[in-house]
This record gives sequence, structure tokens and C-alpha cells, in this order.
Amino acid sequence: MAIITISRQLGSLGDEVALALQRKLNYRIVNREIINQAAQRARKPEIALATIDDLGLFGLQPDIKSRLAYNQAVSDIMEEITRRGNTIIIGRAGQIILRGRAGVFHAMVIAPAWLRAERISKALGISLDSALAQIKASDQSRRKYLKRNYGVAWDDPELYDLILNTERFNPEQAASLICHALEQIEMSVS
Amino acid sequence: MPNNSLSELVSKISRKKQEFAHPIEEQFALILDYYGITWLYEPTTFTLQEDTDGNILEAFTPDFYLPDQDLYVELTTLRPQLNNIKNRKIRKLKTLYPDVNIKLFKRRDLHDLMVKYGLDYEAGYLKGSKAQKNEQ
Repeated sequence: MAIITISRQLGSLGDEVALALQRKLNYRIVNREIINQAAQRARKPEIALATIDDLGLFGLQPDIKSRLAYNQAVSDIMEEITRRGNTIIIGRAGQIILRGRAGVFHAMVIAPAWLRAERISKALGISLDSALAQIKASDQSRRKYLKRNYGVAWDDPELYDLILNTERFNPEQAASLICHALEQIEMSVS
Repeated sequence: MPNNSLSELVSKISRKKQEFAHPIEEQFALILDYYGITWLYEPTTFTLQEDTDGNILEAFTPDFYLPDQDLYVELTTLRPQLNNIKNRKIRKLKTLYPDVNIKLFKRRDLHDLMVKYGLDYEAGYLKGSKAQKNEQ
């Protein structure tokens, strides 16, 4: 398995799972670089900010032409990454752009909203209400992004080979489960 | 947040100490920190006009530069007169430096949103006349 895409909810520890996976597999991780490179290729650097802005604080609304150019650039970059192999792609609709591709494994990391809120609240030193508001906005933003740009539901389980709930697994354990799933798939193929 | 583990996020938010000319710049920096976006404050001054001896007659220093996005950011206000001045400078900058990417961000009242998301550090600065006065 050469490419792993990880989709994650805010506060689900998805980034930590990716880091644990990186330690186990010695793959490289790509995330924000895809956004920045794609925005620059599309000659619309501000679209990177619009994409990052889960909470809608920048107030940017790229026009459709810019978004199409950006989406094309994201797809191109992801294809390039796939050719290089051995990479963990965090977010960026990798589960859709690379859907059905041989050698690509799609995982999603989730957790209950209350737990995600607790994690965010503790990490940032903010109230639970504020953390919940962040989670709600982030979920809505990511759901909207996939629906608008790719016409799919973010939480559609059919998009993923494995969905991991980190309520009971820590990132190391979750990464081990993904590794185990990869081994199983490779065994069944061979 | 999307690009960072929780611990990285906390360290990024707490480590930056910068003097700003205006409270809205500080708030913008806070949002950049929240998202883990690397920024530089007023790192570049662009010459817009010189006299025949090479003395600078007009210059423009955008508020922020975001190196990973290769994007300069200028924050503007609700005052049409000030906006016109900034728009003119930005048009001139784009003519003289066509390879420079710059985005004008119009000030919005983010106070309520910042409070809602627990990011209300210094957010009170956004409201009231003090901020408007400082913009002149």
C-alpha cells in the first residue's frame, strides 16, 4: 500500500494518528502543502486561506472560476504524490480524488462530539461551549466543502476503507489498526 | 487548527509576541496563529514613487506577509476614504510589482464570532471608536 488518505474531524486526533502512522511506516505526511501549492498554481493564493478557514473568520468567498482552477490543481498535485508513493495525505478530499485507486487506502478518524469538545477545550484553554461551537463550524465547513466541490457527503461510510473512533483507541493504537488493515488487504491481494 | 496537532497549536498561539500598530492587526495575527499559518508583520516596504534623485516619495508597507502562501495582506477599515487610499496604493503596487500577490481584507466585526469560538483574546478592541481613531 503506497498511499493512505486520512480524513478527520476536528478534535478527533486524526493528525496525531497520522503522525503515529508516519513513525510506524516511515511515510511522509502531506497536508497544508497541497493547499498552498494548489492555490499558487491556480494563481489565487488567497484561496489557500479560504480553504484553511474552517470557522469562516477571514470572510473570503472565492468565485467559481477560482475554485475550479484550485480543485484541478489539487487533483494534479495528488496525482503527482500518488506516483511518488509512500505518503499519508491528510484531508484535501483525498478519499474522493483517489477513490477506487489501486494502492490507496482511505481511513477516517472520528470521535464523539463531547470528547472532541473536551480535547479542544483542554488544549486551547477555552470553554466547552466554545469548543463545541468550533466543532460544529468545522464539521459544517468540511461537509459543505465536499458537497459543493465533489457532490459527496463527507460522512458517507462508503468513502472509507476503515473508520476509527478514537474514543477508546489512542493514536498509536489507531495507527496500529490501520497498519493491520493494510497488511490484511495486501495479504488478500497476494 | 486543521494543520496542527493540539500541542503544536497551543505552542504556536502562545509563543508569538509582536507589537502591532493597530488592534485589528493583532486580532488578524491571532486568527493566523489559530490556523497555524506562518506570518511576518510588515516585513517589506515597496517603493511606489521616487524623485529624480532616487528619494522615496511614496511607499507602501503591507501589514502581513504569509510566506507559505506567498501572499501579502493589507487590512482595511470601514472608512471609505481610507479604503480609497489603500486601494489606490494597491493598484499602484500591482502595476509596479506584478509578481507580488496582495489581498486586501476588509474589516468585519468579528467580535461575536471570536467570543463564540473562545478566541476573544483582545477581541474587545474591535468595537468602539478607539479602533476607528487608531486607523487614521
